[in-house]
Amino acid sequence: MSSPYAAINNSADPKRSAKVHRYKPSTAAVSTDDPTPDYMNLLGMIFSMCGLMMKMKWCAWAAVYCACISFANSRSSEDTKQILSSFMLSISAVVMSYLQNPQPMTPPW
Amino acid sequence: MTLAQSANQHGAEVEDNDFAEFEEFDEEDKPEAAAPGEQKEEPKQPKVLMSPEADINEAENAEEEEATVEDDDDEFEHLQDDDEFEGFDKERTVKGKGQEKPPDLKITKIPLHLRTNWDSFYMEMLMLLGLSVYLLNFIVGKSKNSKLAQAWLTAHRSLLENNFSVVGDDGSSTEAQSGVLMKESENIFSLWCSGRVCCEGMLVTLKLLKRQDLISHISRIFKPQTDQIIIKVTMDEGEMDSYVFCLAKKKALLRLHKEMNDLSWYCPEKKSIDKFNVPPSFQLLSEIGEATASILDSKMVAALNKYESWIEYMHFSDQFSGPRIQDDAQPTKKPETSKVLIFCFNVGRRGNCQLQDMEEIRPLMQMVLHCIDKTRRIRLTREAKQKADRARQRMEETFLKASHSQRSEEAQLRREKKRREEKDRIMNEDDPDKQRRLEERNLKKEQKKKNPKVKMMKVKSS
Repeated sequence: MSSPYAAINNSADPKRSAKVHRYKPSTAAVSTDDPTPDYMNLLGMIFSMCGLMMKMKWCAWAAVYCACISFANSRSSEDTKQILSSFMLSISAVVMSYLQNPQPMTPPW
Repeated sequence: MTLAQSANQHGAEVEDNDFAEFEEFDEEDKPEAAAPGEQKEEPKQPKVLMSPEADINEAENAEEEEATVEDDDDEFEHLQDDDEFEGFDKERTVKGKGQEKPPDLKITKIPLHLRTNWDSFYMEMLMLLGLSVYLLNFIVGKSKNSKLAQAWLTAHRSLLENNFSVVGDDGSSTEAQSGVLMKESENIFSLWCSGRVCCEGMLVTLKLLKRQDLISHISRIFKPQTDQIIIKVTMDEGEMDSYVFCLAKKKALLRLHKEMNDLSWYCPEKKSIDKFNVPPSFQLLSEIGEATASILDSKMVAALNKYESWIEYMHFSDQFSGPRIQDDAQPTKKPETSKVLIFCFNVGRRGNCQLQDMEEIRPLMQMVLHCIDKTRRIRLTREAKQKADRARQRMEETFLKASHSQRSEEAQLRREKKRREEKDRIMNEDDPDKQRRLEERNLKKEQKKKNPKVKMMKVKSS
């Protein structure tokens, strides 16, 4: 597939090992682009609080889903403690709501 | 029904004679069998099937009945009269009264929550199913994304290693190593290359789709997205002349024009691209017309026409300072700028990107390297250069003014605060003459500030 750039002008070797600059992670670009994990984390916290306080089972299950979504979208630079705590909170919400009254869950609608 | 009939017969009989209440007592001593004739025809009391709950209610009724049976019998006789009340079930109350000892109830021990069997937990099964589907999709999506990233790296590695002395440094270890594709998140990978003539470094960010997240799969059905590769080349200081240029697809241009500081400051309105026969899907923002002409040369136009669907935007700027910070306060400090060439390419068609697509976009990387070398050769004429410098000067001044006004406001606040403290000190000074002295000093100071400064000139008489 001929491309207009096939012949690179290899007159001089462009590499300059002396001018190497080390990689500096730029914080600004990463934080603004994807708000999903933070929102999902917050939503997960609220749902698990509802599940625990008001013993609503579907809230507890929604909290587990929010924790999963925030885990899937989490950035590797983010510390894992936050993800772990949201998972623990939501799973404890589910377990507690079933311990208190083991009736099957009634959907919110 | 059998229950109701036997109740009536009993009731009717009791009403006829006057000594009904005494009769009541006799009846209680004699067991059921002694009742008059009608019992013989029904040898066996009809067995009434009662569910366990009814047994318990029966027992409760019996207890209540017994507790009150003595006193209410005389005054409330009329209540027992079923002529008075419709559907009054006399038999229940009479039978209750008649039994001395409540039947011994046998409640089988059933664990509380297993009374409802497992299939009524269908919502929970649904939830667990959803979780497992999400987990499965996470694993599949994650592996697809990493395969795509690896495919891109293998396709471009040789070309990059011919142009950069370090390819894939993550800045963590002391020695710059190479071949490390940094994973920002499950769908964002980045590669830093450095060590080339005229440019500080090149950061390639593979912004793939969030295949690992089921929710974004669904949102992509409504709002289709594509995988993107964003290449940001930071040029050396003296290697790029001063101009701001952006060629982008319509939607991307609107977003960039609103978001990027330099574009909104230096390129207020769009420019026409008719004379450059660039595909019409592109739009142009440019500060210096001369720079545009030298950028959009024949080779570049050929590439634009050939790879039109893959090129999203190209943003060359010597005043690049990143996206605008949203806080409303007018920025007083001029953000530090850098000379960059930013390219954004789309990969694959409408989201389903295959491994060989990564191979196909290799020529675009060659175009990027060509642009780096060409930018070095672009030199503005004197007038264009002055025009650009004047624009940058104006920008400097607006910042100075903004920061000046803020500094003067702060000084004003400080002065007021000092005056208030002074006054407070005077107020809570307890012994009167010290207070008077402080007030006088304060008044003298304000007097001195008010009257104009007069310079006393001493003329020496020689």
